[in-house]
Amino acid sequence: MFEGLFSLLSSHSDDDDDDECAGPPPARIQQEIAVLQKKNVPEHAYHFFLDEKKPYVVFAARTKKRVYTLRIELSGFPNNVPKVFVTKMLKDKYGEKLDSADGSMHVLESEHGWTRICHYGDASWTPNVSLYKIYVKCCLWLNMYELHLETGNDIEYYLNHQK
Amino acid sequence: MLAFVDEQEILDFRAHCAATGKSPQDVAGVACEWEGEGVLHFHQKRPLHGYGKESPCLFTDDCAALEDPVCIEKYGYIVVVAEKTVAAFAQYPKDSAVRKECVWQNIDLQYIPSRENLYSRSQGILEVGALAAKRVAIVGLGSFGSQIAIELAKAGIGEFSLLDFDRVELHNLMRHTCGINDLGRLKTDALYDAILGKNPYAKVDKFPVDINQNLKLLDQEVSRADLVICATDNNKSRFNLNEAVVRNRKVCLYGRANTRAAGGDVFRYVPDGPCYNCLLGNAWYDAESEEITNVESARHNGQIAAYVSAEDAAAKVQVGLSADIAPICNMMVKIALVELSRGIDSGISSLEHELVYDYYMWANRRENRFENWSAMPGAGAKPTILRWYGCRIQKLEGCAQCGKSGFAELDEGDDVEEMLKKISSC
Repeated sequence: MFEGLFSLLSSHSDDDDDDECAGPPPARIQQEIAVLQKKNVPEHAYHFFLDEKKPYVVFAARTKKRVYTLRIELSGFPNNVPKVFVTKMLKDKYGEKLDSADGSMHVLESEHGWTRICHYGDASWTPNVSLYKIYVKCCLWLNMYELHLETGNDIEYYLNHQK
Repeated sequence: MLAFVDEQEILDFRAHCAATGKSPQDVAGVACEWEGEGVLHFHQKRPLHGYGKESPCLFTDDCAALEDPVCIEKYGYIVVVAEKTVAAFAQYPKDSAVRKECVWQNIDLQYIPSRENLYSRSQGILEVGALAAKRVAIVGLGSFGSQIAIELAKAGIGEFSLLDFDRVELHNLMRHTCGINDLGRLKTDALYDAILGKNPYAKVDKFPVDINQNLKLLDQEVSRADLVICATDNNKSRFNLNEAVVRNRKVCLYGRANTRAAGGDVFRYVPDGPCYNCLLGNAWYDAESEEITNVESARHNGQIAAYVSAEDAAAKVQVGLSADIAPICNMMVKIALVELSRGIDSGISSLEHELVYDYYMWANRRENRFENWSAMPGAGAKPTILRWYGCRIQKLEGCAQCGKSGFAELDEGDDVEEMLKKISSC
């Protein structure tokens, strides 16, 4: 289902990443895959692109209504908070692009024409955070985004009500 | 007139005579004079960054130079280096248009001490001979890194590796060792000069790079160091450095201040002990209230989220005074010297029994987390400000940075899964 999408995404390259492009060590990748398997994420729902100049992983994320693709960039991971994109430009309920940093919607400045999710702050990040957790947080964001499209409440509203 | 000559240069000048059995060639040097202050420094080599008014000066072992018309025409100063004495002469009056009318006036000389004598006053406390062979890598040369670098140079550390891509800016000055004259300079260059100003025999390697973009270089410099100082202002670089010190089994000291420098802390990593990543999440460690000194770098590092307005971001910059962070820098220097002197019998060896903790917290002012602490008078056994508190840190089970490779206990996000289940059912 996602093969065509993955090959399309793999051809993308960006040039503004300022970090040395070391990806995670192989042992860490194996651990991440083990967590994904343990959590029953189907193998066809994710794909690692580790041989790229800037390695990344792509996840399929299903909500009640749609299927999205998330791209998590792995340069500097796990020492750095990885960038996460929904591989399209999303719009809010009022038709405005989610392309600039917005605290209430938990998005950051877009790149490559894709909406970027703000999933972790610098102070709360640790290298022990798994890619699976990031994936789940972003799935949570997508569900809240769809509720936003229905109600107009922002992501912050739903996060506060979750707490 | 106060005049100084570099003792090491004189020793080298004589050593050349002793080794070759010949007189060395006369050396054309430079005299640096602070006009109006009556202070002169004589050097055989021009200092990298000159100071005062420079004029030609001859170093020779032959008094005949004082009679030589060429020398009289060419030099305002002559330093005569004999086997056991050194004498300096200045032409008087020095501005005379007719040199023949000048006479040489003998001026009193003092030595800029040689390598052996530079730290004579530290002997008995520090084993300066041993420290001269030690190499310290300092990552981040802001208000913390610069103070620590200078203090370590003053203590006699012989080799430095300086890493920082930044330049000296106006907002740095009130807490930085560098001054107005250094504005705009790379911090590595400015600190290079400042260290050599304290210890001209130090070996200083400069790396004006962002370590996050140069992990191989970072690893190389960590591997060469006897001790590493982490004085950066963000977790990204701390995690990268932490990984390098764990891999290379090097002692590393991390220091920082909290908002408004109401407090601060120092963490010491020693091989096989808890690492910086183990420290995070510890109740003693307040990750959220880290002092932010620069909006631009804080935004770049993610400390201030991109969606925070310019006004709110500016409000987050709440820095303490230089005097507030000095105790933290001082603690880092003390621990560094104890670590570098470990196994060497010195006057600070006894501190090995005091400085046994992994983590030290400095309570500086009664505000923020220390707001309800007791005032010092009458506090008894209660905690008060203006004191250090130490504790041991547990190694994090399955730490992703210091644990066995491939056996990290990853945060699998069980809490977030619960939230996802709830929201999916909406």
